[in-house]
Amino acid sequence: MSAGVEPGALAPRALLARPRALAASLRAELFAGVFCLLVLLVIPPIANAFWLKACIAAVIAAISAGGGGLLYGRVGMVSLCQMSLVGVGGWICLRLGLGTSLPFPVLLVISGAVTALVGVFVGIPALRMTGLYFALVTLMAAGAFEVVFQTTGFPNGGAGPLGLISGFQARATMRRPAMAHSDAAFFRYAVVVAAIVFLLALLHLRTRPGRAWTAIRQSEAAALSCGVNVTLYRLWAFALASFGSGIAGALYVASVGSLDWGTVSARQSIVLFAAILMGGAYSLLGAVLAGALLELMPALFDTLNLSGNVVLILFGIGIVQVLATAPAGMAGQMKDGAMALRALALRKAARA
Amino acid sequence: MPDLKPFIVSGIALGGVFSLSGVGMTVLYQATGVLNLAYGAIGATGALVGWELIGNGMSNWLAYAIAIGFAAALSTLYGVVFGPLLAGRDALVKAMATLGFALILLGACFWHWSDDPRVLDLPTTAETYDVGGLRVNLTQVLALVFAAVLTAGTALFLRKARTGVALRSLAEDREISAILGIRVRRVEATAWLVSGLICGLSGLLLANLVRLEAGTLTFLVIASLAACTVGRFRSLALTLAGGLAIGIIEAVATPFQTVSPYRSAAPFLVAILVLLALGWRKTIVISEQRR
Repeated sequence: MSAGVEPGALAPRALLARPRALAASLRAELFAGVFCLLVLLVIPPIANAFWLKACIAAVIAAISAGGGGLLYGRVGMVSLCQMSLVGVGGWICLRLGLGTSLPFPVLLVISGAVTALVGVFVGIPALRMTGLYFALVTLMAAGAFEVVFQTTGFPNGGAGPLGLISGFQARATMRRPAMAHSDAAFFRYAVVVAAIVFLLALLHLRTRPGRAWTAIRQSEAAALSCGVNVTLYRLWAFALASFGSGIAGALYVASVGSLDWGTVSARQSIVLFAAILMGGAYSLLGAVLAGALLELMPALFDTLNLSGNVVLILFGIGIVQVLATAPAGMAGQMKDGAMALRALALRKAARA
Repeated sequence: MPDLKPFIVSGIALGGVFSLSGVGMTVLYQATGVLNLAYGAIGATGALVGWELIGNGMSNWLAYAIAIGFAAALSTLYGVVFGPLLAGRDALVKAMATLGFALILLGACFWHWSDDPRVLDLPTTAETYDVGGLRVNLTQVLALVFAAVLTAGTALFLRKARTGVALRSLAEDREISAILGIRVRRVEATAWLVSGLICGLSGLLLANLVRLEAGTLTFLVIASLAACTVGRFRSLALTLAGGLAIGIIEAVATPFQTVSPYRSAAPFLVAILVLLALGWRKTIVISEQRR
């Protein structure tokens, strides 16, 4: 058998161990998450306007990466339409935000909930099939969403069901929440929302759904014979990831003001999957790293005057490399590195 | 009711190419277990190389040959390097790795050729015939002929030829085939080469029938994927039929204003409906444990 991790075949060490080790691993994740968030709270005072915008985008991307990572790392499903669902969330937030005066947190929740519903609708045809079929259906769904977004566009302040303006009216942009008008405040707002979504994911992982997902990933047949409702829990995971994507979409339109189909194209969904793999699909730290890769790396290339297409090539290499050699991504390598350091320190202490 | 005949003609041509690449993908999947999602990107790279060579003054036919050869070389290179590396892995992992290859090629194409839409003029397009009051050009005829001939030829090859039988046994079980003395790597490389040749050919045809732009061509793989899905990644004849049906549905929607902008979503809808029809009968499909 190969050394890599297959969805549905092998699990990271911590999850194969006893329940106490499982709780410890989750606690470590929680600490990692809190640490990351603290670091992120320090950023606004030191970053300039360009990097602050990139950091906002990275936090938002981390939310959608968290959903996709949960699907791949915990349940063994590959979804290639996460960015399309971000588009759905953005569409709903734009439509409601420009058409009504609902407070922003309400918009966030509605966007997330409706996107979860759309995700369930997309997922149902594929959930009874094998992993490869699910990936293909979501890829095709991403293609279909792209066609629809490209044709109908996103609401920009007009009347009518699609919320599109006609003629030469000025385009309206999405408002930000009242308490987060400046970029720095919006960054903090996004970090708090991301933390809440991550906590929701952690809560799932620590309770019944998390155990069911682990069982499904280890062996679908075994899970089924233990009485786990495989279809229900896979659908649940996909709905949760879609919920996160919807929230990310709503945050994105609030941060930028509008949405363009190119941002949520099928290609971007594939790039997001690449970033999830490279960051690490088994931990929330991986999701944060994926968000940083997705948004900060292009920004870095931009400031260095390098072609953005190099980023695309790097993501491609990243997918192949992670799948062939480093299944736990950068987060896994960092964890291994930290453990090696600790072992070294312990050995030194014992010798002294 | 608008006159649909011209649209049906262009639909058959487009569908023919979808079938062609669908057949290439199915053969590769059957033989190596790799669903090559980089198929569109490889074809696009080949076609762009051909376009560049023609721009540099090379004779057309030589440039087409090099374009097809380049696509085949890319496909074989990937197969030889990453095929054995990922051989023991899940079909999902293999497919996702080709997605990485697609991103690499796509980035390289955008980098070198930008994303300006171009059209590759094939000399066969200028050659038109009059069939029952319809104008049909040679490229359109060729698309259908290639699709039909290659589907039949591949099916025959898999049934009769020695390498074809070896390919089928590989599809069944890689390890046992190796024990029986089949040169697994060589046969797999042949599969990558053949599917690469088909890929280069369909890339050239699509660059003429649709347009020559890496992004568009890369994601046309989804349409061929839909054709494969209709054939359940097994039946070449059903793949051919599926590709043709998708092409015709897409083209016939053109004159109807309400659905016309959404017509490129046709492949996805067809594929999702087929998957629904296939999946509904089974309660659960447990991923195949091949070894």
